[in-house]
Amino acid sequence: MEKKYWQSINAYKAQPNQSLFEKQPLKEFTVDGLDESEVKGKSSRRDFLKSLGFSVGAVALVSSCQMPVRKAIPFLNQPEEIIPGVANYYASTFYDGHDYCSILVKNREGRPIKIEGNELSKLSKGGTNARAQASVLNLYDDARLKNPMKDGQNTDWETVDREIVAKLNALKGREGSIAIVTGTVISPSTTSLIKEFVAAHPGTEWVMYDANAYEAIRKAHKAQTGEGIIPFYQFDKAETIVSFGADFLGTWLMPVTFTKQFNTNRKLDKDKQNMSKLFVVESNLSLTGSNADERYTIKPSEEAAVLLDLYNKLAARSGQATYNGPASPIDTSEIADELFNARGKSLVVCGTNKLENQLIVNAINYILGNYENTLNTRQPIMLSQGSDEAMLSLVQKMNTGQIGMLMCWNVNPVYDHPQAEQFIEGLKKVDAVVSFADRMDETASQSTYVCPDNNYLESWDDAEAVRGYYSIMQPAIRNIFNTRQAQDSLLKWLGSEQEFSAYMEQYWETKIFPYQSAFAGFRPFWTQAKHDGLFDMEVESTNFAFTPIELKAEKPSDAAGFELVVYEKVAIGTGKYTNNPWLMELPDPVTTATWDNYLTISIADAESQGLLQEDVVSFGNGLELPLLIQPGQAKGTLGIAMGFGRSGAGPVANGIGANAFGLMQINKGLKVANQAGITLENTGKKYQLALTQSQHTMEGRNVVKETTLAAFLQDPASGNEDQKYKEKVAATLYPEAKFDGFHWGLAVDLNSCTGCGNCVISCQAENNVSVVGKDEVRRHRIMHWMRIDRYYSEDADNPKVYHQPVMCQHCDNAPCENVCPVAATNHSSEGLNQMAYNRCIGTKYCMNNCPYRVRRFNWFAYINNPKFNFNKNSDLGKMVLNPDVTVRERGVVEKCSFCVQRIQDKKLNAKQENRKLEDLEIKTACMQSCPGDALVFGNMNDPESKVSLLMKSKRRYRLVEELHTLPSVSYLTKVRNTSKA
Amino acid sequence: MIIKSLPTLKNIKRTVKTGSLLLSLLVLLPFMKSQAQTPEAAENWKVCAACHSLGSNRLIGPGLEGVTERLDQEWLIRFIRNSQEVIASGDEYAVALFEEYNKIPMPPNDFSDEAIIDLLKYIETGGQVAPEYAVAEAEVAEKSPELLRLEAKLDARDQQLSELKRDANRKFGTTFLVTIIILLVVLADLFLTKVIKARFVHITILLVGVAIIAEITYKEATALGRQQYYQPDQPIWFSHKIHAEQNKIDCMYCHTTAEESMHAGFPSVGLCMNCHNVVREGKITGRTEIDKIHAAWESGQPIEWIKIHNLPDHVYFNHAQHVAVGKMDCAQCHGPVEKMDEVMQVENLSMGWCIDCHRTTEVQFTNNLFYEQYKKLHEELHAGKRSRVTVDDIGGNECQKCHY
Repeated sequence: MEKKYWQSINAYKAQPNQSLFEKQPLKEFTVDGLDESEVKGKSSRRDFLKSLGFSVGAVALVSSCQMPVRKAIPFLNQPEEIIPGVANYYASTFYDGHDYCSILVKNREGRPIKIEGNELSKLSKGGTNARAQASVLNLYDDARLKNPMKDGQNTDWETVDREIVAKLNALKGREGSIAIVTGTVISPSTTSLIKEFVAAHPGTEWVMYDANAYEAIRKAHKAQTGEGIIPFYQFDKAETIVSFGADFLGTWLMPVTFTKQFNTNRKLDKDKQNMSKLFVVESNLSLTGSNADERYTIKPSEEAAVLLDLYNKLAARSGQATYNGPASPIDTSEIADELFNARGKSLVVCGTNKLENQLIVNAINYILGNYENTLNTRQPIMLSQGSDEAMLSLVQKMNTGQIGMLMCWNVNPVYDHPQAEQFIEGLKKVDAVVSFADRMDETASQSTYVCPDNNYLESWDDAEAVRGYYSIMQPAIRNIFNTRQAQDSLLKWLGSEQEFSAYMEQYWETKIFPYQSAFAGFRPFWTQAKHDGLFDMEVESTNFAFTPIELKAEKPSDAAGFELVVYEKVAIGTGKYTNNPWLMELPDPVTTATWDNYLTISIADAESQGLLQEDVVSFGNGLELPLLIQPGQAKGTLGIAMGFGRSGAGPVANGIGANAFGLMQINKGLKVANQAGITLENTGKKYQLALTQSQHTMEGRNVVKETTLAAFLQDPASGNEDQKYKEKVAATLYPEAKFDGFHWGLAVDLNSCTGCGNCVISCQAENNVSVVGKDEVRRHRIMHWMRIDRYYSEDADNPKVYHQPVMCQHCDNAPCENVCPVAATNHSSEGLNQMAYNRCIGTKYCMNNCPYRVRRFNWFAYINNPKFNFNKNSDLGKMVLNPDVTVRERGVVEKCSFCVQRIQDKKLNAKQENRKLEDLEIKTACMQSCPGDALVFGNMNDPESKVSLLMKSKRRYRLVEELHTLPSVSYLTKVRNTSKA
Repeated sequence: MIIKSLPTLKNIKRTVKTGSLLLSLLVLLPFMKSQAQTPEAAENWKVCAACHSLGSNRLIGPGLEGVTERLDQEWLIRFIRNSQEVIASGDEYAVALFEEYNKIPMPPNDFSDEAIIDLLKYIETGGQVAPEYAVAEAEVAEKSPELLRLEAKLDARDQQLSELKRDANRKFGTTFLVTIIILLVVLADLFLTKVIKARFVHITILLVGVAIIAEITYKEATALGRQQYYQPDQPIWFSHKIHAEQNKIDCMYCHTTAEESMHAGFPSVGLCMNCHNVVREGKITGRTEIDKIHAAWESGQPIEWIKIHNLPDHVYFNHAQHVAVGKMDCAQCHGPVEKMDEVMQVENLSMGWCIDCHRTTEVQFTNNLFYEQYKKLHEELHAGKRSRVTVDDIGGNECQKCHY
């Protein structure tokens, strides 16, 4: 049973003396630049004078200090729904052209301060992802434009409107001279508005463009079914799932929805004894790959061969046509067996934007009978409608001077188009470029006019992410700056007096309201829709017909050198969020790297090339990046994250990492995120990455426990055998802790946690956790109250991966409490390990004594400190702070509080309403929006509560239980659906 | 530490005192009853005068000249007592009146029949108190100096109390200096001049002196960052005494959210305007102060009140918990606000002060279903092992009840 778990290559190789991959912690204090006397610790006469001066100054300061006059400024006219001190929640939608979530916006005193998942949504079901959580900080980004711009100079809306309308009128005679480039628009009312605009200016071309495209799925469906759709994948209905490089738990299409679906089929309890099986075939170790039951590594160019091989195996069994193709580099028979056994209940997805690959995937799903079972074609996904071909032809037209006016809305092709240079050349030939960018991004800075769009929290819109599932975006705050919603700009230029909110309402009244029967009048319907933020419409069934066509597979590339895969990071996405310090500091779920992009390379390749971790290499067109040796990276491949190398995102993002979009290739009119024939050259430089995993080692203790499904079915306690023994020998001299009333506890199901990092950001937003920056992360001083540990085990070339959220364990025998000299940390009668910041004197004894490494020290003042120029250093950025949670000062220790402010709030609500507190009423920030429903918080004193039931599970264990710390946080063993133990 | 209020409004304060004397005079009057229009009617008229004039000109409501001729007495009594009832009954005249005056309801008045008849007489005579009372009034006014003094004493008691405390605090500085000088003199005598031969005198004085200095230092040091007796000048000279004591307006009428939010809430200008739309002139300050409300309302600039009761940022205090759940009276923390023209922070709002109260205050344990979760405490209560449950008993004094 003793399996070895490891966190880094260094630990795996057990070469403690040879610190090739990890840096030794830096010394906290250096003696550089100090006098000899100071180093030796003797004080000189000058020191005496200094300290004398200091104390006199301090006394003078203290005695002269006056309390500041604080003002209370009430409303002129109290709005009915706003009560200062009580949060309001507004239903809205997070959609940025790429990601979709139905959300609730928590407002305090008129400021949006937190994003919560909307539990009414049938798509995101109360889940969010890290980007949605962090999006509230984008609202308070100082890099946003504060006024409309003309030729890089501030101007006013009248001027912009007048000149643009004049230009539009001048272009009326030249048909086809206006082009609008947008991200994927899933809003029915905005679509209608753009179409109106196109109709008013005949020949206007509307191009949808996605930075990271999945167009091949649509093209393949067009070829095989006649409808260019992306079917709505149903991971909850699939028993066997095979993903070819589709990171559907992390970034692919609708990761929140898919994680929710996927996890409904991964929960195990007394009643539910089976779970789905996930195969992943990929090059990089993605978040989905890290959650796979079986994982295979291939090069990107081998994918078609593997797919065709799999298809042929399945086709042969079901009597369908087979096609010749190159030999598969991996044995697909196990996948084929599992898929065949789960016909109609299986699902194959592929993330590669190549038509021939997607054709094979569709054919496989078709012969397995998955269409209409695990692939809903009646209600397809409306995301990712971008067309690379249309964009390329537009670039061509721009270069030939056909385009008189170009509008860029929610797109940034100068930064993220693979052929950005041609696009830039084209831009120069366009008379007027209008950008709706919210900041002076790469495209906006080359535009004539910038008409800054509102943040989505200031805007009206609607969204139909999946056909029939409508949701509403509504403003939660008035415009902070002199910005205007892009739709309002279009309406203005159309000569309409209407505001978009009215336009949208009218659209809903005429186009959507007639399709419902619950409400007789539009007003109540509209009120309800705005309240829920949602409306689900019945969709008529369509005739689905699948026509098999000939399948082909390209031969794997035999070019010398590496094959490079450009991937999307869970936090940063396509680069829209690089100026968001929360997301920049969110450790990558797999590499645990923050603040940078880097080149991932397999262990074998690094060894054969004689390269070490953090060696800076040059590759591609002179790009330079440090190496990160990634277990599980396919041999012969490299991985690079998109979204970095920005120059126009803002001070947090600019100049960090390298832009990988240029490494994408256009293949048969499609953007393909990989490139073969890459050679590396060691520059001889070193670059220290800010990795977090090895910072909190647990010294080889048994902290992640796992079992296989087969073993679990035989014995639910499998993998957790030592638990009984540990409980038996647990003995203590301390009296047993007893709690009357409440005893809060948290259960973490390792089988449901995908490691996506949503909880980390949610916690950061809720608890005013500071961003410390790259340098401080390198010094192991990250402040996150909650981290997701990542462990590897077994084969280093293709390891098993574990994600384990670790927060303060709220031990009933807390080692930290005993050592605090000032009792700043102590235990509450509700089982909380309390931390009183105002009492803490910063000895850090508690941190030393905590076996879980969950306490964080404020080495600096992270607020109002220009050295930490993130959101807490600007008045605007500080608006995101949660007024219920203290902002910590320098020199104090902080840690997870189990969201005590939420506990107190809900307790108070119950008292005010004279009722008992319901189970699951209190949701900690991490639990509320977890897309995997991995965390359950509740009262362990209530035997019926969900958390109590989980605590009784045989899979339950606690971290480092042998220390008898009696944590209030419990974990449930991970169960892998694999035949191999 | 004491924050001195600027003495810019001294003269106004003096006016306040005179005003309160006059008002207490009026309070003393109603014990005299009579058939004709009494001074009581004149007092009651003040309520009416907010919306009605004695002449024929319209204000918010119609002018009342000749009202007793226009309408019969019984109808008037009904309407004055509860106008909405009369309107709801479908009375044509009442409905027409209501429509004509923009549907502004006339508030009900809890007057006896006699009082209304009396009031009508007062209106009829154009605001004349019957001559016999005019004499009586004068007599009362003559008689009352000692009574008035008593009243004033009672009124000013709380304020004097706090003023005394403030003064006592202020004297620390002088005491401190004097003690230091004495100490220096004693020390000088001990080592240099040696006038007093007995050393124990020096030592005694030194010890006492050091003790005094230590005491003062301790007091001043603990008061650092606290604002007891803080009484700043507000942008509008608003008197809680007039609103809360004399007009008996409930605290929660203006501080609307004390039962539902962490903040008790400051009234919006709109809320002030509910009454001051009509009440344009104050008894003490005339139009000057009320005009500021109107100026704010018209210019759209909210009023910047100075917050008196401040807690440090690391303290979470919730009014709803204390007012709605704990059923505490506002005065327990805020003192006799209804006695203050300008509000002063009476308590020091220190942590010790909070904790002392939590130790002794009983929780509404048996009449709130929420507390049923505390099974052991309920058992103990049943078994008679404990007589009550204090806030402290359910963890009310733990760090993270207030610090998070």
